[in-house]
Amino acid sequence: MVRPFVLRMLVPLLAVLLAAGCGLRPTGPTDGGRAPTGVASGVTLYFIGGDGELRPDFRGTGRLGTVSDAVSLLITGPGRDSGLRTGIAPVSTTRVTVTTGPDVLTVLVPLAIDEVTPQGIDQIVCTALGVHVQSGGAQDTEVRVGFTTAGRESEELRTCPLFG
Amino acid sequence: MTGGLRRAGAWAHRLRPRGLRARLLVAFVLVTVVGAAAAAWAAAGSAGTALVGGAQERLTGTVADRVGALAPELDYPPDRETLDRLRAAVGPNTLVTYEDLRSADADAPGPGLGAVRGAVRERNRIVVRRITDGGTPRLLVGMPVMLTTPDGERTPSGIEVYTVRDLSGIEGQVDVLTRSAGGASALALPLAVLLALLAARGVLRPVRDLRDTARRLADGDLGARTAPQGADELAALTSTVNEMAASLQASMAQMERMRADARRFASDVSHELRTPLSTLTAVVDVLASEAEEMEADDRESVELAVAETRRLVRLVEDLMEVSRFDAGSADLRLEEADAAEAVRDCLRARGWTDRVAVEAEGRVGLRADRRRLDVIVANLVGNALRHGAPPVRVHVAADGDEVRIEVDDGGPGLSEDVLPRVFDRFSKGDAARTRSPGSGLGLAIALENARLHGGDLTAENTGGGAQFVLRLPRTPRGEEGEW
Repeated sequence: MVRPFVLRMLVPLLAVLLAAGCGLRPTGPTDGGRAPTGVASGVTLYFIGGDGELRPDFRGTGRLGTVSDAVSLLITGPGRDSGLRTGIAPVSTTRVTVTTGPDVLTVLVPLAIDEVTPQGIDQIVCTALGVHVQSGGAQDTEVRVGFTTAGRESEELRTCPLFG
Repeated sequence: MTGGLRRAGAWAHRLRPRGLRARLLVAFVLVTVVGAAAAAWAAAGSAGTALVGGAQERLTGTVADRVGALAPELDYPPDRETLDRLRAAVGPNTLVTYEDLRSADADAPGPGLGAVRGAVRERNRIVVRRITDGGTPRLLVGMPVMLTTPDGERTPSGIEVYTVRDLSGIEGQVDVLTRSAGGASALALPLAVLLALLAARGVLRPVRDLRDTARRLADGDLGARTAPQGADELAALTSTVNEMAASLQASMAQMERMRADARRFASDVSHELRTPLSTLTAVVDVLASEAEEMEADDRESVELAVAETRRLVRLVEDLMEVSRFDAGSADLRLEEADAAEAVRDCLRARGWTDRVAVEAEGRVGLRADRRRLDVIVANLVGNALRHGAPPVRVHVAADGDEVRIEVDDGGPGLSEDVLPRVFDRFSKGDAARTRSPGSGLGLAIALENARLHGGDLTAENTGGGAQFVLRLPRTPRGEEGEW
């Protein structure tokens, strides 16, 4: 009685082992993670509307572009006929440098702190964060806006009041 | 079919190891190797799975990173040129589609693509599928490119990327893992054999000791014991065997004591009887000498008393002789003798010469105790004359190293129930004739005397009466050197 029992136990065990030892077997479709993102038909900038609130302003550039492109475009202003205002003083240079850290997006703008209103800072934060999220970044990323004038403001971590 | 099964069964039976050592060895090796192989293969399997999983994740992540890095720079909605740009960024064996547009598909992935495309459109996540293409393992990766609003809402953009990556290198690594697992389990084999041999020795040594002890016990060495080692079942068995041997030894010793007591009692009784008996014999002899002058009735009584007294004297003498045999104090005085002459002397001394025919081929020399030879012949011939019928014949002949003395009679022979016990003490050929002149010890004493010489005495029926055959060695054992 013992031998058949042993054989009954051994045969499937060996079969499993042999199957496990063979090469890579084909599989069906399995999940491979989150899909990449980043395409867009344009970029969304944030200006101040007639009621004094932040307003998205979609520019059909044909592509999303980078965060620094978007912030540079923001600094150039809303345009004369758009009916939107900006809290950023007009400056001659629009060169913006963006550094992406793990949880923090650092945006160095060619502006002094007294050239930007608090709403202007929100414009920069929301525009930068919007492009960052659209290109696949995390929504809870915080933004540090670096001004040309050193100070406490340049160290502050900010979030956009429009996004949850 | 049945025959084949039976043949296979017989074959398996022949292959089945018989010895305990071989069985232990096979079981041990089987268990160890199967266990080691199972552990090694399971480890190799899970390591291989982790290896493959990691590699797939890495490949998929690389593709997704490249797509994600380029995506913000792509025109949307894309044209054919844009799709080709994305395809070039991802690498060879890649297909990029947007609605009805397709990138240049010279080396686009083909097999297994349908299921992946369906899953990509259904789930809007990256989908991977392992396929085998012409014996080569490949990883098929499909992913949609998503459209994300600034506040994080994702919708499919319609751009889809499909690419194929080779997994041959990973398969090679997994094969190496598997082979090393096999090697590791093979290493367990000699270790298992060694352990099995050690275990077998541990089990088999007590068994062998026990067997030796049992054999010595069977050969009569009741003092044989095995010292039990350890506290296992074999030690318990050894203790039990020891107890059995001790109990047997005690019983045998007690029995031996009882037999010795009985012998001593017989010896003591016969000695105690001798003294009064010699007085009685003297008195009876005096009475017998005066019997001639007595009345007929008195004379008959006296003659009866004389006969019974003589019988009593012989009985006591026989008893003493038997006691000497039992005590081992019977001494053998060997001297040169002629068997034929000894038989004739014996018959002559007892006045049986005209009733018994002697057949002898000249001189039959041997070394024997003449007195004991005389006792044997007298007992055999006396027995034949008393219980058998004439003619009684004694045949003396040399037979190789032996001297053979046959005593035949012409009577009815020995009955079947007497034959096996004819040499027992106080065995009576006829239960009704208890008052025969014999003591009942004659044949027993004759047999003891024959054995004392190293010979033997047997009885059988020849068909024409009983035949007693005495065989004596011409030179008793232990005498050859001196002869």
